[in-house]
Amino acid sequence: MPAAATALEVTGQTVSVPSPSASPTLLFTPSPSPSPQQTGAFTVLLLGSDDDSKFSSDHVLTQSMILVRVVPSTKQVTMLSIPRDLYVPISTGGIGKIDGAYSYGRAAAAMATVSQNFGVKINDYVWIGLLGLIHVIDVIGGIDVVTSNPVLDDYYPLDINSSYPFDYQRVAVLAGPQHLDGTHALQYVRSRHNDLQSDFGRSQRQQQVLLAIRQKAKQLSPEDIPDLAKAIGGEVKTSISLSRMPQLVALAATFDDPDAIRQIVLLPPYTHGGGPGGSVRPNWSLILPLVHQYFP
Amino acid sequence: MISKVLLAIGLAALMVVTGFSSFIYLGAQHSRAAKPPETPTQATPRAQAFTLPGTLFLVQSGAIYSLSAGRFHQLTAEQGWTQPSIFPDGSKLLVVKRSFFYSDVWVLSRLGRPLSQLTHNIGPARNPDTGVKNWSFYPRLTRDGRTIFMSYDEPKFGYEVDMSIWAMPVAGTIRQARVWTNSNPYTGGDMQPVPLPSGGILYTKYGFGSDQKLGQFVWLTTRAGAVGKALTREGDACAQPALSPNGRQVAMICTSGKQLSRLVIASFNGSSLGALKTVVSDQMVAQPTWAPDGSGIAYLAPAEAAGGFQLWFLPSAAYTPPAPSPSPTPTPTPGGPYSGELSSPSPGATQPPAVVKPIRVTSNVGFDATSPIAWAP
Repeated sequence: MPAAATALEVTGQTVSVPSPSASPTLLFTPSPSPSPQQTGAFTVLLLGSDDDSKFSSDHVLTQSMILVRVVPSTKQVTMLSIPRDLYVPISTGGIGKIDGAYSYGRAAAAMATVSQNFGVKINDYVWIGLLGLIHVIDVIGGIDVVTSNPVLDDYYPLDINSSYPFDYQRVAVLAGPQHLDGTHALQYVRSRHNDLQSDFGRSQRQQQVLLAIRQKAKQLSPEDIPDLAKAIGGEVKTSISLSRMPQLVALAATFDDPDAIRQIVLLPPYTHGGGPGGSVRPNWSLILPLVHQYFP
Repeated sequence: MISKVLLAIGLAALMVVTGFSSFIYLGAQHSRAAKPPETPTQATPRAQAFTLPGTLFLVQSGAIYSLSAGRFHQLTAEQGWTQPSIFPDGSKLLVVKRSFFYSDVWVLSRLGRPLSQLTHNIGPARNPDTGVKNWSFYPRLTRDGRTIFMSYDEPKFGYEVDMSIWAMPVAGTIRQARVWTNSNPYTGGDMQPVPLPSGGILYTKYGFGSDQKLGQFVWLTTRAGAVGKALTREGDACAQPALSPNGRQVAMICTSGKQLSRLVIASFNGSSLGALKTVVSDQMVAQPTWAPDGSGIAYLAPAEAAGGFQLWFLPSAAYTPPAPSPSPTPTPTPGGPYSGELSSPSPGATQPPAVVKPIRVTSNVGFDATSPIAWAP
């Protein structure tokens, strides 16, 4: 597999990347480093699970793990996708793929595992399942996305509302600007068989869809809340307390600049394959400086 | 079971951390988010009084609609029909019918009646392997009407499924088809071929660029099996080329890696493009299509952020420089040159030309933005 040299994928805000090689991997126009004075900043771990019927509901993996840091003072958001197959010490004991932490100890274990390995303080988590993502996108009327390339998969799992969850279906999400309903948006972010970058490519697509949901959410109003809550019943869990609600709502209204959103995906050489059981090994000497730059 | 209040909080939190700006915007009165699109024949307001020349064929929810003289007509049921193109003589439509596991190329009458099925991609009935089925997308006929160029997902190897451009005789079968392009593995491949009068094709090629980022290019291949060449740069990220009626210009979309797509045009000499000129920059543009009479370019784009894709028309005056006004010709004056004071030029002569903006033709519909627009004279 050709090395995917890109270490960092960013849209919007331009970022300088610490060079892992002799020739600097400067992918984007440098911008000022994040200020250490980030009053009110907080970090949330977004978790997405294949909670289909192949798994028991309390023992699922988190195939999508995205660290999100929100800096209210600068109105900046940074999204860091963590490779699901990253081979790390798990907070509950042992070493394994990081996506298994949730299955061993729910969100607390996932948060602790990420926090301990990346050296990041995580304030809260939000977990969402497959059906939750489909329902959320459908309830808001679908999303508009510029899909980056045709996503073709002859062996996409046919495991949602299926009597035989080990079956397959064919998927073809065509490329370019388009409107996606929940089912097709899930296909776009979940498929990885025909992606040279596998889970890394999928992480980039997941971030695209998150941004599209954000765009669509601008049109929501309070009357949408009941339908949304009904749609995601049991498919979203969070640690965020009721007392923080007014603060978050007020904060939400101040974020309106898509160019202030950084997107980071840890491609080689920040990670490399060859770990046990098909896992991905981290290159902490490169990852940690990068993480600490944007998640101080 | 988590309470609805907590669910709402969780969703709000998700939206905050992903940068949602105005979720639960307290001043909003009505939700516009989940409003489903109307069918083109029922949408209100109807297609605007602005009337486009000829007949356009568009797709929504698997049904084909025609737009002629300002009125939409539904030609087919919502049964997976998509990606129409016109026969060179204008008599019929070449269309894709998409099923759950495969898609096929069909010929329909201009009124939407199925006439013949040209591919049979369902695969062997007794083989349960999903990989034995195929997709055919974006069929286009050559000018002589004898060959179909299309994207077809062969060859493929296990998990590796990429579209290549194939050429198939209209009167033949897929076994008589010939692969024209070598797609890049694990990229999705080569899409949306446009046959050129010279015999080559323009299309969109997906591939990994210099920094291993997945990119898209408008590509030219002049003969089967040739590598061809990129006509656009990696950073422009252009796709969906459309050839002008006189063959001298190409319209396309370019994203530059963003979640917006610009409408871009460039001159075309048969082997390379001239400078790219952005003519619409603030929309999510899809499927640019030239008017057969050269009067402008139709395209699809949401009318508002995250809305359904509407039909737009950009008059040619928006991208064609106005003809220079003729220089005043000195009038011979009997008696020799005029030596008196010259009159000032009229104020109108120095005013900049009016800005020509795109015209939104539809409201409240939701066209399929992955389906090109077919436009018959």
